[in-house]
Order: sequence, then structure tokens, then C-alpha cells
Amino acid sequence: MEEIKRPAGVGKVFSRRRFLQVGVSGAGTVLGLSYIGLGLDFLQPPPLGAEPLQTVGKTADFPENMPKPVTYSGQGVKEGVYVVNLGQGNWLALDFHCTHLQCAVNWVAAVGKFMCPCHGGVYDIRGQVLSGPPPKALPRRVIKIIGDSVQVGGILA
Amino acid sequence: MINWLDERLHVRELTASLFEHPVSKRSNVLDYLGFATFYVFCSQAVTGILLATVYRPTASGAYDSIKQLQGEPVGAFVRSLHSWGANFMVVLLVLHLLRVFYEGAYKKPRELTWLLGSVLLIATLGLAFTGYLLPWDQEGYWATTVGTAMPSHIPWIGDYLVRLLRDGTQVTGATLTRFYSVHMLILPALLLLAFLPHFFFVLRQGMASGDELAKAQKRGKCVDGDSLPFWPDVAVRMILFVLLIGAALWLLAALYPKSLGAPADPLNKSQYVPEPAWYFFGVYQLLKYFPGKLDVLAMVVLPFAGGILLFALPWLDRNPARSVRKRPLALSLAGVLVAGMVFLTYQGMNSVPKALASAGVVVHPGFKENVEPIFQSKCITCHGTSGGYGLDNYTAVMKKNVVPGNPDQSKLIRKLEGSDKPQMPIGQPPLTSDQIQTIRNWIKDGAKNN
Ligand code: FES
Repeated sequence: MEEIKRPAGVGKVFSRRRFLQVGVSGAGTVLGLSYIGLGLDFLQPPPLGAEPLQTVGKTADFPENMPKPVTYSGQGVKEGVYVVNLGQGNWLALDFHCTHLQCAVNWVAAVGKFMCPCHGGVYDIRGQVLSGPPPKALPRRVIKIIGDSVQVGGILA
Repeated sequence: MINWLDERLHVRELTASLFEHPVSKRSNVLDYLGFATFYVFCSQAVTGILLATVYRPTASGAYDSIKQLQGEPVGAFVRSLHSWGANFMVVLLVLHLLRVFYEGAYKKPRELTWLLGSVLLIATLGLAFTGYLLPWDQEGYWATTVGTAMPSHIPWIGDYLVRLLRDGTQVTGATLTRFYSVHMLILPALLLLAFLPHFFFVLRQGMASGDELAKAQKRGKCVDGDSLPFWPDVAVRMILFVLLIGAALWLLAALYPKSLGAPADPLNKSQYVPEPAWYFFGVYQLLKYFPGKLDVLAMVVLPFAGGILLFALPWLDRNPARSVRKRPLALSLAGVLVAGMVFLTYQGMNSVPKALASAGVVVHPGFKENVEPIFQSKCITCHGTSGGYGLDNYTAVMKKNVVPGNPDQSKLIRKLEGSDKPQMPIGQPPLTSDQIQTIRNWIKDGAKNN
């Protein structure tokens, strides 16, 4: 039988041509993916609660069970925070955005609750939802008492 | 000139493929909506570049730079054009989509064109959303705060998504910079990347309304009677249509210039009620219908289903027929969907509390005309239909707390004036003395349903 002469590579399972094709698309994919990964990593938001602590007042400024609004200087904006002195060394810092649609909640001393003026959301002194449309509790921020100074940091989960 | 180019680049072939095809006489002005959208996009690009030459994308500089721009007539007009252009683009795009749907033009062989069109729709909505924040005024700031908070209703990853959008937990200067780059670079790039093949496919395949013609031509039939040459007959109609759209855009931008509200105040001392941009009113309204735990339905299930429906439509709808009469199911479903969306948006717009015109004291007030609007804007968010004392209609108001003819005996008045604690509206500034006096007068007149 006469042997058929083929050009080199043809008929093999993984030809030279195929190898080069895979090489080209592989290199392209690697390049592309590296930039996508880099971009995703770059766009990560800062970790929760990472913002620096800021002094917002002295412990004596915050009577027990009387949440008081203070401000925290974020990036180019002032952020509203309620500092709550629950007594016995228990402190809370609550973000003032209603979790429903982001209106600013008010502490209403007469009834001892946070009330949202927009759709009637009501929260207790710890920021837990009592009634109305808000889906979850007011977000908490980092709070530290150092000596007699009250310091507030970033939002926790 | 054309000869010179042709020698080197064979441009004749290209222009011939662009311009020299017959267009069915059935084709009408609605087939030019895509082209009109493209025109508005170009207008947005030009005005956007102009605005970028003066805009400062920082929390401290943004508002002032726009304020300064508003001071010059040409500057204010360019901004107005850009803002109106955004609305035009969204509306034209949706009309274009509806037309394509109605004609069944997404079916084989044009599935990819539809898919890219869906990307264009998403990118355009993204542009509208990110652009809203840039002037850094109250409206934009709070619309963004509401809009970026919406994903928090998604379980597990919701809070992370919010932070990713805002580049932090709150809407700050970092958010502004992020939105600026997305608005200026990422989305326009995406838009162009999707638009080029979208446009190329249309050129390659022709418009769906021309398919019959092409078939006839293949059979060797002369189609001159049923068609017009694209160049110049149809081209002239297209450009006239675009001219009309352009004139409308310029006219509206001039007659109703885009204003600039108060600067963003993240502490919201003025108690501004946050509201989303108008194209979000539908979702906003949905959230109200699905309160509490059901919000997952409004925020995840429905939008997700909507997205799948949009992108996968050519594969979901397997009915090959294009003519309207042979697609009753698809068309009626779409009709219901569109009607639902219009309804939701309308409801959402209506349910936003309106600011009251300060009418002064009304001596003989009518319930409908003078009293109810006060309740509507100040009271019903709490005293609504949810039980307890309602102020949302006459019968509910009269159930208790009102003694006709005797304002001083009416608990309603005592609550409003604060002689009966706590004063209403609780946690908000009290009603003005004019408003209280108006309600007093109405009770004195007998508290009638007039
Ligand atoms: S925003 Fe607070 S209840 Fe709606």
C-alpha cells in the first residue's frame, strides 16, 4: 500500500495550527481577565467601620436615654448621627437615615421614640423598628468612650 | 474627492451598501425612532463634553461650578439641553423598543440586534441615574440616596451592593467622583461598544419592514412599485424627522430651562422629603405595595424577571409570525406590562406629597378645597389607612376628635395647637397658625363635607 503524504501536522489530534489558535485566544483571555480583576479590586468600597474615629462631645453632654444628634465629617459631607447614652456605660451611635426610603428620622422626646416624618416609620431608642414601613433597624456606627470624650466612627453592618 | 478615496479604500462599495437599497413603502416615521435616539445621543455627547469643561466633580466644588454656569445664558441653555436630552433619550428609546416589539422585528434573524438594544437601554438608564447626582443639589443628592439604597432590599449581597455603588456607606464626595467617572467614561464606552454592532447589524440585515421586499427581489420581481430608494427619498424623511425632534428639544430646553435647587444638605435641615427621579417612581411605588418582607418580590424577583424577559425575548417568544394578528398572546401580555408600568409610575408621581401653597387664612373653608390638602400633605403618612385615627377621608376624620361648630372642644385642634400633648404632627414642625385657623374656621362652620 502506498502511503499518503500529508503536510506536517494535518490529521494529528492537536495540530500546530490548533495549538497556535489556542495560544492566541488564551493570551487574550489572560490579558482581559487581569484587567477585569484589577478593576473589580480597585472599585471595592472601603471596609465597614473603617472610617477614623472623631470626637463628637464629652460624656456629660449626653444625658441618659436622651438621644442627641451630632455630625460626623465624612468625605466632603456632614453625616447625621444620633448618640444614645443607655446608661451603665452602654452607648449607641445610630445613623439617622430611615431604612425605608432614607428620610432623616427625628428623636421625639415626648414619646421616647425615633419617628420618620415621611411615611410614619417608628423606631425605639435602640433603633429597632416598632412600626411602619422600614424593613430593618437603623444602622449602627462605631462608638468609643475614651476618658470622657465620646468618639464616633464608621457604619457597622 | 470621492474618486480619490475610492481608489484607496473602496468607499463606493461601502456607501452603496449604506445608501442604495430600496425601502418598503410600508415603512413609516416610527421606523426612524432609532435614528432619532442616535441623534439625541450625539446631542448629549456634545453638550456633555461642553459641561465637562467647566464642571468640578467634588463635593465642595460641584454645586458652585454649576451655579456659576447657570449665571451665563449660554451655559444655562447647554445644561438645560443636556437635562432635557436625557428625558428625550429615555422616551425615544422606549418608543423605539415598543415599535420593534410591535413589528416583531426582534425575531430571527435579528435576535442579536435586540440583545444589544437591551444593553443600550440599560446603559441609558444608568446614564440618567448617575447624571442626576452630579449637580450636587438637594434633588439629586436625595434621589441618589434613595436610589442607591434600593438594592439593600436584596438579601445577602444587598448591603454590599449599596456600598459598592456609593463607594462607602453613605452618599459622600467619594460617591460623586464614582458617579462622575461612570457617567463620563464607563457608560458612554459601553453605549458605543453596544451601539456599533447594533447599527452594523441593521445595515447588514436591513429593516424588518424590508424583508418582504428583499424576498421579492430575490425571486427576480421588480419592486420599484412598492418601494422608495433609501437615498435620497427616505434619507430626507429621516433627517426631517430628526430636525423636528431637535427643534422640540431646543424649544423645550429654552422654554422650560432646567433650574438648580438648593445645594445638597446631607443633614437635611430643611426636612426635604427625598424622592427618586421620575423613572424610578414605578419601583418606588412597587415597594409600597410590597411592604415588609415581601420587598424581596419588588426588588429582586420582579426586576430580575423583567431583565430576563427583556434580554431573552427573542428566545422566549418562539412564535415565528410577525404580523400583529398572529401574535395575540405576546401583544396582549406586552400591553398589560406597559399599562402596568405606566400606572405604577403615575401612581408613584401622584403619591409624592406636594408642597402646600400658603393660602393664608381661609374664612369659610371647604373641606375638599382647603382642609383636606393640609391633612394630605402633613398627616396621612401616619394617620392613613393603617388603622387608628385616620385623616385620609371625611368619614374617618369625623369618627372622633371633631365637634362640629366647636373648635375648642375638638381634640383635633388641641392636638394641633399642642394644648393636648404630644403636639401633632409628632416629630415635625407644627402646622402654621394660618393652617390651624383655617381648620378652626371649617369646624366653626359645622365641619361639613363641602
Ligand atoms: S422613609 Fe422613613 S418611613 Fe419611609
